[in-house]
Amino acid sequence: MKHLKKGQKGHLSDLTIGQIARVTGLHNDSRAVRRRLLDMGITTGVEVKVKKIAPLGDPVDIELRGYELCIRRKDMENIDIEVIK
Amino acid sequence: MMKVALIGNQNSGKTSLFNILTGTNQKVGNWPGVTIERKEGKIKDTDITIVDLPGIYSLSPYTAEEEVSRQYILEEKPDVVINIVDATSIERSLYLTTQLLELDTKVIIALNMADMLEKKQIRIDEQKLSELLHTSIVRISALKQTGIDELIQLIRSQSILENHHQKIYAPRVEDILDYIMRHRGCNRFEAVKIFEKEERYLGYVTDSILYRIDQIEKSYQYDTEQIIANERYNFITHIKNQCVTQPKNVVTITDRLDKILLNKWLAIPIFACIMALIYYLAVGVVGSWTVDLVDGAIHSFSGWVAETLHHLGASSWIISLICDGIIKGVGAVLNFAPQLVILFLCIAILETSGYMSRIAFFLDKVFKKFGLSGKSLIPFIVGSGCSVPGIMTARTVEDEDERAITIVCTPFIPCSAKLPIIAMFAGAFFDQYSGLITVSLYFLAIVIILISSVILKKFFFKGNPSSFISELPEYKLPSIKYVCRDVSEKVIAFIKRAGTVILICSIVVWFLLSFNWKLQYGVNVEDSILASIGNVFAWVFYPMLGEWSWGATVSAIQGLVAKEQVVSSMNIIAGLAEESQDVTALFGSGVFGFFNPASAYAFCMFNLFSAPCFGAIGAMRRELGSTKRMFQAILFQTGLAWILGCLAFGVGSLILHFI
Repeated sequence: MKHLKKGQKGHLSDLTIGQIARVTGLHNDSRAVRRRLLDMGITTGVEVKVKKIAPLGDPVDIELRGYELCIRRKDMENIDIEVIK
Repeated sequence: MMKVALIGNQNSGKTSLFNILTGTNQKVGNWPGVTIERKEGKIKDTDITIVDLPGIYSLSPYTAEEEVSRQYILEEKPDVVINIVDATSIERSLYLTTQLLELDTKVIIALNMADMLEKKQIRIDEQKLSELLHTSIVRISALKQTGIDELIQLIRSQSILENHHQKIYAPRVEDILDYIMRHRGCNRFEAVKIFEKEERYLGYVTDSILYRIDQIEKSYQYDTEQIIANERYNFITHIKNQCVTQPKNVVTITDRLDKILLNKWLAIPIFACIMALIYYLAVGVVGSWTVDLVDGAIHSFSGWVAETLHHLGASSWIISLICDGIIKGVGAVLNFAPQLVILFLCIAILETSGYMSRIAFFLDKVFKKFGLSGKSLIPFIVGSGCSVPGIMTARTVEDEDERAITIVCTPFIPCSAKLPIIAMFAGAFFDQYSGLITVSLYFLAIVIILISSVILKKFFFKGNPSSFISELPEYKLPSIKYVCRDVSEKVIAFIKRAGTVILICSIVVWFLLSFNWKLQYGVNVEDSILASIGNVFAWVFYPMLGEWSWGATVSAIQGLVAKEQVVSSMNIIAGLAEESQDVTALFGSGVFGFFNPASAYAFCMFNLFSAPCFGAIGAMRRELGSTKRMFQAILFQTGLAWILGCLAFGVGSLILHFI
């Protein structure tokens, strides 16, 4: 895993615990999965924070829009972000 | 007559509100997807029909149970939709609201969890929110039961604001939506769906519409589906900034608890301990001092009845039917009611506290490897109460393959009706280790599930990549009222089954045991009808019992009616076979005297893992969607159980040989 610093671009899966980033794009092969992610509030411009990581490293719990969402790393790889903090 | 639908995100408290409004007791829990089918009721003291729908995040359905809600709203067209909004996560909740407001149905927003707002220091300007959304809002707390009367009054008053069809998207998007509405003569909701090119509306996308969509997608650099979602959320953020103030960066109790319960090293050991403790408590501790007590009471009751009947001049066969048949059979099952209270209590607490969602979260990675989803664990835990609701809960698993595997594997988890089988054998053969043996059988069940899913995935399913997208709810203190109601309802259902199904079976078993084919009464059990039936099939069980036992054979077959019937049947057979009516004689009797720890464990395993009872088989058929797949599933389960039973007997016998 690469360690991203403030201002750097990457994928949601690159973040470590406690990091905050802004979503810049979504590109999932499965239309249904992408739709679900959009519905759950992962849209361009939204701020997300990596809050908890499951004991076995996957899935990851992220905080956005005032609630917490669990999502697998595989799906996080398809979400582009820019690190804020 | 008015029809009102309750709709909202998963876990937003719809069912709690439904229960308050109707006065019934539907199941509530703290994990996404407790309600899997729609439920209808009447609002107390009115003739307004109210429908509780499964929770959805959007009107674009993603799982089978979300489809139920969408269909209802779009096709049955209720008069009013009550949109429950979780006030503590208002941003995500209003996303669904923006879609509902595009329909032609009137919408009331019930701003739920008002009691939590104060605790979290969130302030919501309700007046302003109502103005900005152009819709009626009532602040309620389903937990504290506040605001309910206002809500009912509003529904009855008919003074609900009509949907305003506010233009919330960018002018360029709105222009196209207007064009689609004019061009196709549809409403705003449908226009958005056509604009998004949703599968079901693809037929309405004409070349002129497609041209406009292409244009706008080019200038936005992403597709219309994303444009709509983005702008909906932009609109919501805009509203939220005007109406909601909340403190930033608070460390909640949930976060602190998760530090321990989701800790890298502790999470799984804690989970294992909790599950082991539940069964150790239920079977080991409580079982040991209640079973003898209840058993003794039933035994003396039986003696008293026999004596009274004798005094009244009843003939011997009536006394035998009532005492050796009915009381023995029903009593054998009722014995285990105290243990089930503990089991149900623990499951109810797990369900309402929010820990269940954590289990799904941290076991997802393990389960994914075996072809299941973390969400499969919820059906398994619910299934430890009863397989039927467990199998139905599998609907929350999104991926079709994973759902089918989950359905087939759920009956492997020993349900509460199988608990008496375990408790009876464990208590008789493993004495002070009975708790340990019980826990071992549950862990064995998990191992079997994992192995089965690998087999099933490999041979029966294609194996598409799946995903796990789930909300992680906050921890909640379980409501004592709901837990008590839930437990008492399940225990009553168990007792009712003892009074109906088990009662009838007991009479049939007694009859088949007391008569021979010439219908002569009072024959030796070895010559009875039941024995001759059992002897035909006894070869099936020989490899795991090491004995030709008609008694064990017929009892296992009766497990198809209800699993606890196995215990009931064995008790009746042993009772009639022996002259002495000693309660501890079950495994001392000639019929079952051959059982040793190895065959006891093996026979237990077969009963736990073979085809479930008819109720669960029916649920499997419904949820798998075909009779063929149901039979495949039963065959798979029974075949596996038989092989495992034989293996266990072999290994067990070896161990016994060397001790």
